[in-house]
Amino acid sequence: MKARNAVGTVAVNAEPGYLDPYRNRWIAIVKASYIYIVFLLIVLVFSVVKLDQVRFFGRGHFLSPVSIVNLLRSSVPIITLAGSFTLLMISEHIDLSVGSAMSLSAVIYALLVRSGVSFLPAFLITMVLGVLCGYVNGALVMKLRITPVIATLVTLNVFKGIALLIVPNRISAIKSTDTIKMPLWINDYARKAVFLRLPAAFYVAIAVVVVLVIVQRKTILGKYTAAMGGNRTAAELSGINTVRIGWILYIIVGVSAAMAGIARASYMSLGDPLSGDGMELDCIIAVLLGGTNFYGGEGSVEKSVIGALIIVCVTVGLMTVVPPFWQMVARGSVLIFAVTLNYLLAKD
Amino acid sequence: MGDNVLEIRNLIKTFPGVTAVNDVSFDIRRNTVHCLVGENGAGKSTLIKILTGAEQRSYGTIRLNGDDYVAHNPKDARDKGISTLFQELNVVDQLTVAENLTLGMEVTTFGFLRNVGTEKMIDVLKNLEPSIDPRRKVSTLSVAKKQIVEIAKAVASESEIIIMDEPTAAISEGEIQRLFKIIRGLRDKSVTVIYISHRLDEIFELGDAVTVMRDGRHIDTRPVSDIRDRSELIRMMIGKTVFEKYEPKENPSTETILKVEDVSNDKLCNVSFELRKGEIIGFYGLVGAGKTELARAIYGVDRYDGSITFKEKTLESSPHKAIEAGIALVPEERRSEGLFTILTIRGNTCVMNMDKISRSGFVNNQSEKRVTAEYIRQLNIATHTMEKETAKLSGGNQQKIVFSKCLFADADLLLLDEPTRGIDVGAKSEIYQIIRDLAHDGKSIIIFSSELHEIVNICDTIYLLYEGVLKERIENGTVIDSEKILHTVTGGE
Repeated sequence: MKARNAVGTVAVNAEPGYLDPYRNRWIAIVKASYIYIVFLLIVLVFSVVKLDQVRFFGRGHFLSPVSIVNLLRSSVPIITLAGSFTLLMISEHIDLSVGSAMSLSAVIYALLVRSGVSFLPAFLITMVLGVLCGYVNGALVMKLRITPVIATLVTLNVFKGIALLIVPNRISAIKSTDTIKMPLWINDYARKAVFLRLPAAFYVAIAVVVVLVIVQRKTILGKYTAAMGGNRTAAELSGINTVRIGWILYIIVGVSAAMAGIARASYMSLGDPLSGDGMELDCIIAVLLGGTNFYGGEGSVEKSVIGALIIVCVTVGLMTVVPPFWQMVARGSVLIFAVTLNYLLAKD
Repeated sequence: MGDNVLEIRNLIKTFPGVTAVNDVSFDIRRNTVHCLVGENGAGKSTLIKILTGAEQRSYGTIRLNGDDYVAHNPKDARDKGISTLFQELNVVDQLTVAENLTLGMEVTTFGFLRNVGTEKMIDVLKNLEPSIDPRRKVSTLSVAKKQIVEIAKAVASESEIIIMDEPTAAISEGEIQRLFKIIRGLRDKSVTVIYISHRLDEIFELGDAVTVMRDGRHIDTRPVSDIRDRSELIRMMIGKTVFEKYEPKENPSTETILKVEDVSNDKLCNVSFELRKGEIIGFYGLVGAGKTELARAIYGVDRYDGSITFKEKTLESSPHKAIEAGIALVPEERRSEGLFTILTIRGNTCVMNMDKISRSGFVNNQSEKRVTAEYIRQLNIATHTMEKETAKLSGGNQQKIVFSKCLFADADLLLLDEPTRGIDVGAKSEIYQIIRDLAHDGKSIIIFSSELHEIVNICDTIYLLYEGVLKERIENGTVIDSEKILHTVTGGE
């Protein structure tokens, strides 16, 4: 039996919690809070750097009220998307088409507003479009069982194609022309201060995040999302309809993309068919920075939102010190950082 | 309700070319631990797959509590009262113990989770194993404790039968005792356990009744107390298998080609042996004994301590170097590791040694065809064209193509891992003949197999492996005591 024990040791050691409780606790603390520390550090760095020549938006300090408002206003789309994207990634799926769905929504919303539809109907119709985008993705991935990356890469191009088709030739976006004027109120939703100098769109985004936090922590959908991403076979054996759960998640992401598109169109007063480009990458970075396991099972909505803010801070902060093209490189570096961090954390 | 929880009658399952379960009938009594034993390929796992709904029977009836029982998938089986503890555990690592227990059975109001019903589940777990904290994440538990969580879930969901497929394969000695205590306790909770294990001692320690299967047939079902000892059980398992006659070599070579000294890694423990030119040696052991690991170590896939000398040169640990030195591996998983199944026979044959048929990077189609045709003739591969996709060939013919791949790579040493798995009887003896012919031509061969008669049939020297340790070396040609061999490889001293 001696040899048996030599082999058996591997299994005995497989209980890390009992080996070194202190080390484990430290890892747990670092895991739970590093994202906030990183966020504070980044804010601190950008606010300490003296921006003598190129001032932030030409209006002063990084932490001045004006620039904070600007920063939060421009981060509305990514905040709206980060939460639902987190849930999707916890279920071990991905949606590369979020950016295109967002662009398409922005174009449709702008088109509706320009043709005289008032705010609420335009908003709701665009939301229905978001449901449709999510439904299509869900059908491809969950029902037809096409690999998420491929399925949503296809819809990325389809949605983008439709958005480009809608915008007439030789015009870059849906905006005021000589004949039709874009109503001025389109701006109100994402720019007009309603409370603490911040616009309605910002509070809607926060509301979305709050709802998703509750969904993740308190509802059966949140639990099944984690179960499905952690071990799909076990989830199915326990009687969970994983196809339905995944489908619902894709629809939630589609709706979020539509809301993000409305916010973007409203912020820019036009419907740009390319305005959502690169959003999928930002979402992935935000979610990974927030510590969500790339292979599903666990993650946190609120931390992804912090991750989203980090991206915005880095982008905006760098805008003040480096030429625009370097921002792409910087964003790539942040992604590599996020993935590495994610890997290290997952390893224990 | 009768005494029998499960009645199996005339169960048959056929796969193309193989009858895996052949007219099996037996009963399982309520609230007992019923063991299922048999050699690899005896049909145990197919039987279990039918019970769990992973496979559908070809013919026969199964009655659960007197009612006809059909399961379309594992979920269906679980709903009907048969849960299975698979070797790959079905718990969600990222959730807590309590969350795992209630998974799929949550009580909710408008989709919001409520803490109702959790108590009952946790009580079941506490009852089985008080030391597991329900708030802990499952990923921090050992394999044994994860098993207990799964057992608790099965008990709480009122399963009548829990099937356990080698539950002790990956857990330590102390944990095994704890698990056994729990399994014994299940009898009092109106749960019947179907227990599958290769470790025969466990049957005597735990079982109430035992069913022995051999070659897809039901041999006997009787109370464990009616079985005198291990050797009687072993006799039932192997039966009176008539071995083909082994013929010793006429003038064996004395040249040592491979020398393995003190090879150890986490699955192997101080393995040493020598192999002569033209010799066939066989490693026999059950699943998990370390056969595949030894093959992988020699081939340089896995790291190890100790040294391996091939043709008087120390072998570097990399498959590339091994191939260069003249070693080829015929892997256990023929379809996934041995063949490019979407390529044709021609596309597979030369793939390990393309240099031999190409000049400055361009493949010479003519020589490729010539070589392929030659091997089809030599190994008697049944096909009318060399352009046939290998996926469409039978197991035996696929294996012959894997052989021809290795031969074309000019291998002097062939490592054959389960060379006849999933191959029907006729093709098996053809493969054996090929192996003998190769040895006659001066190739050295190591066979890793869990089929005893295969090893006894063709190997000059037999080594017995148990838990990564070489237990015994037997020169073939003498009288082979297969009972004693099985005794050794199932952990007997």
